[in-house]
Amino acid sequence: MYLPPRGVPDSRRGFLKKGLFGGLLLALGGGTFLATRRGAQVAMPAGLQVLNATEYAVMWAIVQRFVPPREGFPAADSINTTVAADGIVALLEEVTQGEIKQLLMLFENALPNFLFGLRTSPFTQLNPTEQDEVLAEWRDSRLTLRRTGYRALRGIAIAAYYGNKATWSAVGYPGPLPGIHDPNAPAWKGGAEPRPVGNGTMSEPAPAVTP
Amino acid sequence: MTAGRIFTAEDLTKDLTLECDVCVIGSGAGGAWTAHELVKQGKRVVMLEEGGYHTRREFDMTEARAFTNLYQELGDRGTDDLAITILQGRSVGGGTTVNWCSSFRTPERILAAWKDRFGIDTLTTQSLTPHWEAIEKRLHIAEWPLEMINANNKVLWDSLGKLGYERSLIRRNVNNCLNLGYCGMGCPVDAKQSMLATVLPDAVEQGLDLYANVSARQLEWSGRRITAVRAEVIDPVKNKPTGVKVTVKAKLTVVSGGAINSPGLLLRSGLDGDGRVGTRTWLHPVVAMLAEFPFEVNAFQGAPQSVSSHHFVDRGPGNVGFFLEVPPLHPLLAATASTGTGALVQDMLGKLPFINSMLAIHVDGLLPEETGATVRLKDGANFKYSITYDFKPAHWEAFKFASKEMAKLQFAAGAKRVASLHLDPVVMEKVEDIDKLDAARFEPVRMRVLTAHQMGGCSMGKDPRTSVVDPQLKFHTLDNLFVVDGSVLPTSLGVNPQETIYGIARWAAQHIGTAV
Repeated sequence: MYLPPRGVPDSRRGFLKKGLFGGLLLALGGGTFLATRRGAQVAMPAGLQVLNATEYAVMWAIVQRFVPPREGFPAADSINTTVAADGIVALLEEVTQGEIKQLLMLFENALPNFLFGLRTSPFTQLNPTEQDEVLAEWRDSRLTLRRTGYRALRGIAIAAYYGNKATWSAVGYPGPLPGIHDPNAPAWKGGAEPRPVGNGTMSEPAPAVTP
Repeated sequence: MTAGRIFTAEDLTKDLTLECDVCVIGSGAGGAWTAHELVKQGKRVVMLEEGGYHTRREFDMTEARAFTNLYQELGDRGTDDLAITILQGRSVGGGTTVNWCSSFRTPERILAAWKDRFGIDTLTTQSLTPHWEAIEKRLHIAEWPLEMINANNKVLWDSLGKLGYERSLIRRNVNNCLNLGYCGMGCPVDAKQSMLATVLPDAVEQGLDLYANVSARQLEWSGRRITAVRAEVIDPVKNKPTGVKVTVKAKLTVVSGGAINSPGLLLRSGLDGDGRVGTRTWLHPVVAMLAEFPFEVNAFQGAPQSVSSHHFVDRGPGNVGFFLEVPPLHPLLAATASTGTGALVQDMLGKLPFINSMLAIHVDGLLPEETGATVRLKDGANFKYSITYDFKPAHWEAFKFASKEMAKLQFAAGAKRVASLHLDPVVMEKVEDIDKLDAARFEPVRMRVLTAHQMGGCSMGKDPRTSVVDPQLKFHTLDNLFVVDGSVLPTSLGVNPQETIYGIARWAAQHIGTAV
């Protein structure tokens, strides 16, 4: 695997390390009383690729807040949204995966929750209203780092849910017209094979397709 | 002429070394036209493309699949602080496989600014026009007829008319377009005249060997010459190197990885241009407004972009200008680009057929104080970079001004509600509410800023002390290295960039051919 040449600034701990407050926040992950308070346990589904039990529990809780129960919308768990979130993280580079894992732990950690919001429980032990308040605090924080963290986790949760076709009817999205996509279209790779018309890489004119 | 071939990871199971006249790195707007012109001149050309070879066989018009296969970092590339989301293509055809087809020649005032500020006397309307004419013919670039515009673009068209603002129809690179609305997910019928569907197969037919899933990792150089391109085969599923190495020994190398990735390759190779490589990167920063209409807009149907306004593109000295367009709104993009709580997203997406969005696309790089984005390597990452954007007060002033203008336009078109893309959105229900935006904070990571146009990072210019490539696009300190893509643009453009890059590439290929 490629590694950058020597002398490239070390950014292994990524955005969390940037700036004084970043260092402070990371330090908050240390072994203090509040930092070690247990979070809620959530049954671990099969097939997780990246998240461990604690990280999964935090991601699950965040997903519930960004996809609250709503008539007409499939329940987040009914379409395995948190597993899909894990799948999204799995497609990212390892360095980014590490940052997201750190961020989930920071979100869960009771000590920063106490310092920023006077709450003594981990995120997963808070009730939904309190969790929404924590999310809003991250969103509205004076620290760019916390706003960035909010933005990152929100993005994963939302993408994991709305990337699923099962949400289409809830949002009034008809989806693609049938009969357009041709899964058997030829994919020309050159060589001795003549370039066919409408082969998936060229066509002049385009093939006649009637929607 | 013997036809070339398109190779993908499954064909590349053993290390190989290739010898050729020219190695072109990147298959997007710049690389495709360069390679095509060079094979026409009889040159032996090898092209490396980091992304996969995805064709209409796979273009099933679903966003989840498209973002995974066709975009950098799953469509969520961004600045380090996530202040700006960067939508950038990553597959054979590069950005042209997923762009929304808007085609503009480079504005005269931009070319004039490049001449004045950077001594670029090679790129003029006169020198580019013959290339644009050939390109427009091959790619069927033509104005999209007013009677064909979709309801989303009609909102923009009508509102511009009501407020008396400049408006025009966009020219699109399509042939027998079915007006479906899935351009951003890869055209399922090859109506879009992307590089994937036109110029690349033209070039392969004439001898180009195209290696997809092959990422150029380092340029080896000695003295004033590139001696080899070191590349790795990328597993298309895991997005990690397979361990198979590809080495290309070419007489001349053309880097066409686009803004961000081209600077990245040069930086990995120790070619940092005295610190200038990766600097002065321009993003056409976009702010957007959402509006709910009492009638169906169906922003997911029909040609995504067919109307634009350049009414505010030049706001006078000291100000950042912008142009207006609309985006398509499919659920995943709409949801991820949205802001607000989960319940608010459900409110908004629950009315998706009634939602319009407007985009104000800001013309960065024209003010003397602007430095734009800086791209640097990120330790331990193969494809991710550290990217920071240096916002100036003029940007935030323009973002607020543009947000208000978009809200005015949306209300003029009959919107019931308009919302900003602040993380905590400002919601307006009547024109008078637009003043609420004055109280909102226009600051990084307090509102959504996006980009779909990446430019600069390997800026061209006459003075080697202030630029990376010369006005012929040759790397200043090497004799056989050219950069041909959006990264050479010394400022942003004020129009969607694909045709500018096509034109520059076709123009550059003429003298690159003689330099081999």
